[in-house]
Amino acid sequence: MNEAAIVVEGLSKRFKDKTAVDQLSFRVARGRFFGFLGPNGAGKSTTIKMLTGLLRPSSGDAVIEGVRLSQNLLGVKGLIGVLPEELPLYERLTGEEYLHFAGRMYGLPRSEVRRRTEELLEFLSLTDDRRKLLLDYSQGMKKKAALAAALIHNPRVLFLDEPLNGIDPISGRVVTDLLRRMAQKGVTLFFTTHALDVAERLCDEVAVIDRGRIVAQGSLDEIRRQRQVEGGASLEDVFLKLVAADVRRDDLSWLG
Amino acid sequence: MARLIALVLLRFRIEVRSILGARERVFGLLLLVPGLLFFSALSCFVALFGVRALEAAQPEALVPALSAAATVIGLLWCGSPLLAGVALTESHDMTRLLHFPIPLATLVASSLVANLAQPAVLAELPMLACLSLATAGLSLRLPFAFVGVALSFLTILALAQLCGLVLHALSRNRRLHDLALSLGIGLGFALSLVPLLLLMRGLPAFGGVFGFVVRTDIFALSPFAWGVRAAVYAGRGELSGFASFALLGGCAIAAAMGASAHLIHRIYRGDVSLESGMRSAGASRMIFGGPLGALVEKDVRSAWRDPALRTLLLLGFTGPLFFLLVITQTHLDWRSGRPLLLLAMIVGISSFGANALGFERRGIGLLLSFPVPREKLLVAKNLSATLFRLPSFFTLTIATLGLASAALLPAVLSVTLVTMLQAAAVDNYLSILFPVAVPEPGKNPYGGTAGGGRGLAASVIAMLMLGMALLLAAPFAFLAWLPLLLDRPGLFFVTLPLALAGAAAVYAMLVMGAARLLSRREPELLERILGES
Repeated sequence: MNEAAIVVEGLSKRFKDKTAVDQLSFRVARGRFFGFLGPNGAGKSTTIKMLTGLLRPSSGDAVIEGVRLSQNLLGVKGLIGVLPEELPLYERLTGEEYLHFAGRMYGLPRSEVRRRTEELLEFLSLTDDRRKLLLDYSQGMKKKAALAAALIHNPRVLFLDEPLNGIDPISGRVVTDLLRRMAQKGVTLFFTTHALDVAERLCDEVAVIDRGRIVAQGSLDEIRRQRQVEGGASLEDVFLKLVAADVRRDDLSWLG
Repeated sequence: MARLIALVLLRFRIEVRSILGARERVFGLLLLVPGLLFFSALSCFVALFGVRALEAAQPEALVPALSAAATVIGLLWCGSPLLAGVALTESHDMTRLLHFPIPLATLVASSLVANLAQPAVLAELPMLACLSLATAGLSLRLPFAFVGVALSFLTILALAQLCGLVLHALSRNRRLHDLALSLGIGLGFALSLVPLLLLMRGLPAFGGVFGFVVRTDIFALSPFAWGVRAAVYAGRGELSGFASFALLGGCAIAAAMGASAHLIHRIYRGDVSLESGMRSAGASRMIFGGPLGALVEKDVRSAWRDPALRTLLLLGFTGPLFFLLVITQTHLDWRSGRPLLLLAMIVGISSFGANALGFERRGIGLLLSFPVPREKLLVAKNLSATLFRLPSFFTLTIATLGLASAALLPAVLSVTLVTMLQAAAVDNYLSILFPVAVPEPGKNPYGGTAGGGRGLAASVIAMLMLGMALLLAAPFAFLAWLPLLLDRPGLFFVTLPLALAGAAAVYAMLVMGAARLLSRREPELLERILGES
């Protein structure tokens, strides 16, 4: 269980004169619930895009479940499931068609695709809307459909970019319970969120990224110790201490 | 007033930035300006000399004719968002401004004033002056005539704005939105055929319509016409006629603006309650197995439900018909089959420019996230493009059977197929090297933030690639056609399989190469398409 599922080696991404991700190196052990946290524009989504093969790194490489990204991109894509923040869905397909399509694209047999589709639709409360076009789904329903598609092939590593955004609290609980169960079964979950309370509740380990660099990594207790934050401090307190040191707090005296 | 000015300036700033944001658009504008100047000069000429000539020859026809012309222009202007098949949701979307405490009348007025300064509108101003001059000459009546003409023009703009808002209201319902787009694209295509039909039927048909319009003066009831009617009466010194039509014109503008403000109010307060547009899509299981089948099925289902893509099927029927119409005007010998050979090559080469990966839009990120061999992706995309062109095969078959002989059919279809294969294979390279995201249905293709075109160099390369596709197809087309040249139909049994097999082999090699290129350039392709769409 302690083997590394994700090994990131000096990953960088530069856009013209801006360095979005700067020499990132870290390891995530198999079966961990790994939270990747950071303020807006810190480089979280860019990192996920690079790790999932959607963006070419300017330098560095990564190994996912023993498969090197630069050498076998398709191999990596077969092992992972991705729930991106912006949902590129085929909106003129129905929810059910979309899951069938995703299953076939991962090479699953027809009967297995049908079985898993039924179960996923049922589990994510989409059964009643299975024959509606994704275009007509609400944002939360689209998120659930995209999550179902990311799960249908039983990935070994799951990359989730803001997975709970737009999902109602009941479905949110169902989804987090499912993710926790997957982690217990050895699936590695790499997820970003702004909801620090969720991260605190779910994650075995977190990394905090700021301006493209990791500023802290470890379990919450380890980070508290590293940063000499008092024992009862929440993840939000730790996070603010790590990345918000130079936030201007001028009074807007004219307000109110 | 300060808010009105700020709103108008905001709109100008956004439009200027969207043009300056991409070299292609600046180039497009540079091309547009001479065109606009030319058409402005042409319309000035027609307005000035045409109106004077008609006034001299048939003075009683002038008012009905101008009324008809103003109405036709007005209707086309109002329908332009629909006819262009785009921008239904964007042209009158004021959602972002509604949070501010701006009176709705100010919003409507700002949109109208901003519309006045559009290049297409400014280009009409000299024509308005010429029309006024033609009706009143250089006399004291000229300013009154100009007021009349300007009233018609403002009526057109105000009613166009109202129509845009109605379309925007419709766009809140996805099904109505799709329906409007489909109708608009079909209507636009039908209208584009009108000049061709007129050329074929000749001027007598036009004369008949003109006679009917003059006899009945049916367009006297059109609000678009009231201003120009006032202008003609002003030119003739008939004060009461001028006053009454000018008053009617003014009322039409006020009514249109009032209706626009009311509609904006109702749309954004949620009073225009259109049903959500959700519906069951019926049986919803994918039929075909394997990644290749799933990809083709996905493309076909998506295209059938997407109004903009569905028109590809319509074009498949009508495109070859159009060329057939052109070819029938020549003196080619149909029994020889040469016109059909030409038509088959034209239909075949239509696969070039299918822009398979661009049609994925944002879905490209999803598509390339699947662990499917890239050659399968490309073959599936090419298969879909060929399926969308099946109606052309149907049209071609009918043309061959109707105009030539059934004996030519295998050769005609084989030439089409081998050309289509090579064109699709070469287009894969273009699609990978110079990807262009196709705008979403109903979205303004020029409204993006990034460069939307391929650029000049890419266009030149595209032309070279088109030539290459034709060159690659030529030997196989020749082989398919050889028995006809030798007048030995029995040879078809040898040459057709050879041609098809050869074309398939070259296609396979090209696809393998394109797949390797795609594997190497995937991230760049994603960056380009996702950045654009």
